[in-house]
Amino acid sequence: MARGTSAGFDRHITIFSPEGRLYQVEYAFKAINQEGLTSVACKGEDTAVCVTQKKVPDKLLDPITVTHMYKITPTIGCVMTGMQGDSRYQVMVAQNEANNFKYRYRYDMPINDLCRRMADINQVYTQNAEMRPLGCGMILIGYDDELGPCVYKTDPAGYYCGHRACSAGVKQTEANSFLEKKYRKKTNYNHDETIQLAITCLMTVLSADFKPTEVEVAVVSKDEPAFRTLTEQEIDYHLSAIAERD
Amino acid sequence: MATERYSFSLTTFSPSGKLVQIEYALAAVAAGAPAVGIKAKDGVVLATEKKHKSILVEEHSIIKVEVVTDHIGMVYSGMGPDYRLLVRQARRVAQQYYRTYLEPIPTTQLVQRLAAIMQEYTQSGGVRPFGVSLLICGWDTDRPYLFQCDPSGAYFPWKATAMGKNFINGKTFLEKRYNEDLELDDAVHTAILTLKESFEGQMSSDNIEIGICNAKGFRRLTPAEVQDYLANIA
Repeated sequence: MARGTSAGFDRHITIFSPEGRLYQVEYAFKAINQEGLTSVACKGEDTAVCVTQKKVPDKLLDPITVTHMYKITPTIGCVMTGMQGDSRYQVMVAQNEANNFKYRYRYDMPINDLCRRMADINQVYTQNAEMRPLGCGMILIGYDDELGPCVYKTDPAGYYCGHRACSAGVKQTEANSFLEKKYRKKTNYNHDETIQLAITCLMTVLSADFKPTEVEVAVVSKDEPAFRTLTEQEIDYHLSAIAERD
Repeated sequence: MATERYSFSLTTFSPSGKLVQIEYALAAVAAGAPAVGIKAKDGVVLATEKKHKSILVEEHSIIKVEVVTDHIGMVYSGMGPDYRLLVRQARRVAQQYYRTYLEPIPTTQLVQRLAAIMQEYTQSGGVRPFGVSLLICGWDTDRPYLFQCDPSGAYFPWKATAMGKNFINGKTFLEKRYNEDLELDDAVHTAILTLKESFEGQMSSDNIEIGICNAKGFRRLTPAEVQDYLANIA
């Protein structure tokens, strides 16, 4: 059992601490919460949804350009949580990887392969001292013709996993508890139920009622496998349905 | 990606002559999920615990017991992301060997090459050692093999071993239970019992993974087959 003292660098670069931890990776996780936002993704019978808060801090900002939803391929999209610069970089890399795959193998990159590839790239940053881990988490959603609706999440540690539902950001723990309770009872939500579940989760953990301009929703489904963000009217429809239910 | 590389190693000797980064990597391994390997007369079994922190996680989206070639498989204890890199390297090494010699790679050769890669990461500039220990099993020259590869690049042939959390108890348990005449079925049974020693909660085909290697090659057991073995224990 090694009980040594580190030289002090284990907090600055990704080398092991005496307990076998990587402090830089743990700090990268904290960086995800810097922005103060939370994102939630979940899937149902034939639909996968991701939602995130839309906070426009300045009236002079053009709200259309403030987004955390990105399309990677026509049928795979993601919601990014964390440092904006790192997020955009990771999206660019993901788009590049997906495109290279399609060029090389002549078919669309499956979402689980894309997530594994992004996770493998994240792992390189945890092992090489030259590059720091990225301070952002990527949740991918897509409709796969073999696996159905998919939600995959990867994080700065290079870990990745398929989920029925997951969340990232400040209120991650509360959101996961909420989702666990729901998914323990039922997993085969229909299209509208899935979207409303995701929005309700976010509203509950943030204790806020959303206006359509305060939330971003993106959807893929069996009938519409193309990744797209919902318009204000569509979000309003779901918010009304939620309000009516309660 | 990086164009500048650290020109010095991050793993350096301490005044007492130890490579502390490797010791810390072993601490990361000892904190990982338990993995067990047992060599029988007619095959090898690898088993590991695959607990997920939440019911929201899809149990079968992630695989821990990985196929390297038709006749070689591996499992790990420690950091999952590092393991994935080593699985890729192992598969690449096996294919390169086949391309050169037109022969499936012998298990000992694969282990040697993979261990050399792990050693490189303890000496090269700007990288940290891998935070995993591997259990590699294979069948060639009409006999079974079981090897452990450590973050230091050292490798050990085993008859039976345990890694990860509670590995000392696991090894003690195996020392009592192991004998040279075990058949593969008994070995699977023993492996499950060894995992059970440190298992919290109810074991099911969703939270353990088992792979077997015999003359027919390496394969993962299906959830149904795992369930059969579990039923025999209860």
